[in-house]
Amino acid sequence: MQWTVILKKELTENWRNFKWLWVPIVFILISIMDLISTYYMPIIIESAGGLPDGTVIDIPMPSPSEAMLMSFSQLNMIGILILTVISMGTISGEIKSGVYELILAKPVKYTNYVTGKFFSYWLLMMVSLLLGLLASWYYTNLLFGELALSQMFIAALFYACWLTLVIAIVILYNTWFKSPGLIAFLSIITVIILTVMTNIFGHVLGWSPAKITEYISIYLHTGDLDIEIWFSAIVALLLSLACILFAIVSLRNRAID
Amino acid sequence: MEGLKIIQENLAILAPLFILQLILMVIALIDLAKNDEPKGPKWVWALVIIFINIVGPIVYFIAGKRR
Repeated sequence: MQWTVILKKELTENWRNFKWLWVPIVFILISIMDLISTYYMPIIIESAGGLPDGTVIDIPMPSPSEAMLMSFSQLNMIGILILTVISMGTISGEIKSGVYELILAKPVKYTNYVTGKFFSYWLLMMVSLLLGLLASWYYTNLLFGELALSQMFIAALFYACWLTLVIAIVILYNTWFKSPGLIAFLSIITVIILTVMTNIFGHVLGWSPAKITEYISIYLHTGDLDIEIWFSAIVALLLSLACILFAIVSLRNRAID
Repeated sequence: MEGLKIIQENLAILAPLFILQLILMVIALIDLAKNDEPKGPKWVWALVIIFINIVGPIVYFIAGKRR
C-alpha cells in the first residue's frame, strides 16, 4: 500500500538521522531529571555550603503524584519544544529541497503523503512519551513512594492526545510556510496562546485541550477521572483531525498554484 | 571525597542518568563524524557535544545539520 511505503520512508529517514534514538533518550532524561534533583536537593544544598551551622534544611519531599506531575510539566515545556523542532521541516524542508516534487511527480496521494508524515512523528512521540513516563514512574516509585502503573498509563494516554494536537499543528503550518524556523515559532506561539486563553477563560473553556494537563493533575491526586478530561481529549483529537484535513487541502491548493 | 561517597552509595539511582547521557553524547558524536557539511566547524561541535551536558547534543541534533 502506498501509505505504508511513505510511512516506511519516513521511519527509515528518522532512524538514519538518529531521531529514533535521541528523542526517546531526551524525553527520558527530561522526565527523570527533576525527580532526581528534587530527591538530592538537601544533599546538594548541604554540600554547596554557605549556610551557617545549625541551619535546618527542611524541604518536604513531594508525594508520588506530585513527583509524577513534575515530569508532566517538564514534558509540557521542553517536550513540546523538541517535538515542534524535530518536525518543523518535515514537509517544508522537502518542498524547499525539491524532494517534494520528486515524490509527488509519482502518483502519490496528498492524503497518504500528509498522514504518513503525521503518523511517523506520532509514533515517535508516543514511544518517547511512554518511555519517558515509564522512567519517571520507576523513579517515582523508587524515590517518593508508590503510584499505580495503570494510573500512569491512563494519564499518559490522555496526555498523548494533547501532544497529538501539537504535532498536527506543526504539520499544518508545514504546508503553509517554507521556513522551518517560522513554522516552529508559530507552532509554539499557537500552543502558548491556546494555553494562555485556556488559563484566562478556563471557566468557559472546560473542554479545551490545553486543560488536559490540569485534569491529569487532578486524576493523579484523587484517582478520579473527570468527565471533562474526556471532552478535552476528544476535542484535542478532533482538532488534530481538522488540522490534518486542512493541511491536505492546503497542499492540494498549493499544487494548483 | 564526600561527594564521591554519595555518588557511590547512590549508584543504582544515578547510573541510568549517566549512561543515558553518555549514549546521547556518543550518538551525537557518531552523527557528527558522518556529517559531511555541518553548520560551523566540526571541532567546535565536538567540544559542545562533549562538554555541555545533554543540551550540547540536543543543540547539535537540532541546529548542527544542513538538510
